Amino acid sequence: MEPYISVKNVSHVYPGGVTAIKDINLDIHEGEIVAILGSNGSGKTTLVKHFNGLLKPTTGEVKIGDLNTRKERISKLSSHVGYVFQNPNHQTFLPSVRQELAYGCKNLKMSEEETDTRVQRAIELFQLHDRLDDNPFDLNSSQRKEVAMASIMAVSPKVIVLDEPTTGQDHKGCKRVLELVKMFKEEGHIVVLITHDMHLIGELNCRTVVMNQSEKIADDHASVVFSDKNIMAEAGLQPPQITHFANEISHFDPNRTYLTVESILEWMEANQEEDVKVGTRS
Amino acid sequence: MNSLYMPKDSLIHSLDPRTKMIFVIFVVISSFILNDPALQLLLLVALFPLVLLAKVVKPYLVSIQFLLLFAVLIMTVHGIYNPIGVTPVFEIFGGLTFKYESMVYASVMSFRILVIGTAAVLFVMTTHPSDMASALVKWKVPHSFAFILLSTFQIIPIIAREAKIVMEAQQARCLDVKGSIIQRVKNLVPMFAPLFIITFMKVHQLSYVLECRAFSRKGTKTSLRETRIGSLDYSFLIGMLAILAFEIYVKLFAMGSLHLTTDALLTYSLIGTWIVFGFMIVKFLYKQLQGKIGGAN
Ligand SMILES: Nc1ncnc2c1ncn2[C@@H]1O[C@H](COP(=O)(O)OP(=O)(O)O)[C@@H](O)[C@H]1O
Ligand SMILES: [Mg+2]
Repeated sequence: MEPYISVKNVSHVYPGGVTAIKDINLDIHEGEIVAILGSNGSGKTTLVKHFNGLLKPTTGEVKIGDLNTRKERISKLSSHVGYVFQNPNHQTFLPSVRQELAYGCKNLKMSEEETDTRVQRAIELFQLHDRLDDNPFDLNSSQRKEVAMASIMAVSPKVIVLDEPTTGQDHKGCKRVLELVKMFKEEGHIVVLITHDMHLIGELNCRTVVMNQSEKIADDHASVVFSDKNIMAEAGLQPPQITHFANEISHFDPNRTYLTVESILEWMEANQEEDVKVGTRS
Repeated sequence: MNSLYMPKDSLIHSLDPRTKMIFVIFVVISSFILNDPALQLLLLVALFPLVLLAKVVKPYLVSIQFLLLFAVLIMTVHGIYNPIGVTPVFEIFGGLTFKYESMVYASVMSFRILVIGTAAVLFVMTTHPSDMASALVKWKVPHSFAFILLSTFQIIPIIAREAKIVMEAQQARCLDVKGSIIQRVKNLVPMFAPLFIITFMKVHQLSYVLECRAFSRKGTKTSLRETRIGSLDYSFLIGMLAILAFEIYVKLFAMGSLHLTTDALLTYSLIGTWIVFGFMIVKFLYKQLQGKIGGAN
């Protein structure tokens, strides 16, 4: 199958001479969720900014569908690749959620009906019915982030890129992000997600790309990446606690990487653990 | 992220900021005393070794470009249309004639802009913003006022950086920034609305941070970076005083017998600015073209 996003030998050098990414190859297919991990300054943001043309490769080539990002306008690419910025303050500015949702479609000069249909879909997806007339600036930070996300989704891009969506969010906010990402996938979107939240990746159980010092050092399923001690150490990453715990205890299936508490509970139930009664303490 | 300041190790950098402030004032006064294109040009040329000495030639040339734009405009428009001109000097196509008196007027004005601009750029590029503030405090300027000045210098690059992010964030919302003029004017709203809000938030935050660090405490404050007036400063000050005296002498006694400003000088300086301006345009177009070939942004 042809990849939807194809990154070929891409390097990016910022004016001033910082090489932020080096010779990256990455193919992302229809229906995938891809998490991008790595320490601060490892080049994650730089990489994903190539997907909607905000940055053009210094060398190499990025293709979105059959569009070469070098030749297309950012506004056009943005209708295929929605990019949610880390700070919603940079992106939202209109006095009501409703206007915020319609803004992208208006920029693309869609017809009134088309805009309505798309805005309606975003309202449904994000359950924003009660907040349509609120001013985004009156909402709390996780709600605002959600509005920013919804306003990007309203254009119905094939791909949605989330730059650190859970940073600074409370537990409820993080859970909501998890829900939303799963929902985007079900709705047929490709999700690319930059995060430091190992727990979130564990729950998503998805493909994981690890960046370290401008280079891609791993690209595999989360369970493979998380069990590779060398990679984890090199990138300065710590797997989710439950994975770490399961790896240290011989009791569990050594050929499996447990990403979530649920997966361990499942294993226990399947193996008819006698001395452990699952779920009895709650 | 520190304004225009270029940290370098040079004689000019090591001068006390107060000396440099006096230097700027001295240059401003000189540019008004020397009310003659030839002398102004001399002054401009005389400033260049200082730029060289401060090791900031390249950034200086970059920032002075903008002022040069003014100079070209003033010299061309005034030279032709200013009604004080009577004596024709030379004619370009279409019967437009440059006249002596208006050319003198325009040259004085535009050289003055360049001279003062050079001094100001030199000052800003060689003086750490904190030193600027502490120098003001030593001159009994209220501490909070000095701080306002300082933070203005420092917030400009922050705003510039935020502006870039906002621009990208809006493009990610399918805003076409390369549209028609009308479209571009309309784009000012999505650009500036978030920028204003973010800047207000930042300034608000800054005020809290300052309070947390006892900014409004009464009494004297000490400065982390001490500046001292040394022998270098004294020699510099004496030098300036001597030059000023000489300028006044020239102005009072020698101006009548001095005929430095000739048609040729005026014409050459006009054409000179055109040529430099032409270079700037060519460079600009070249960059645009490169951008087009490199990829439609
Ligand atoms: N606009 C820029 N100009 C110059 N260097 C930059 C710019 N943005 C990022 N960098 C540099 O590029 C490197 C990678 O940055 P980034 O992609 O933002 O990393 P991450 O998102 O993984 O934290 C860093 O060293 C950073 O300092
Ligand atoms: Mg980043």
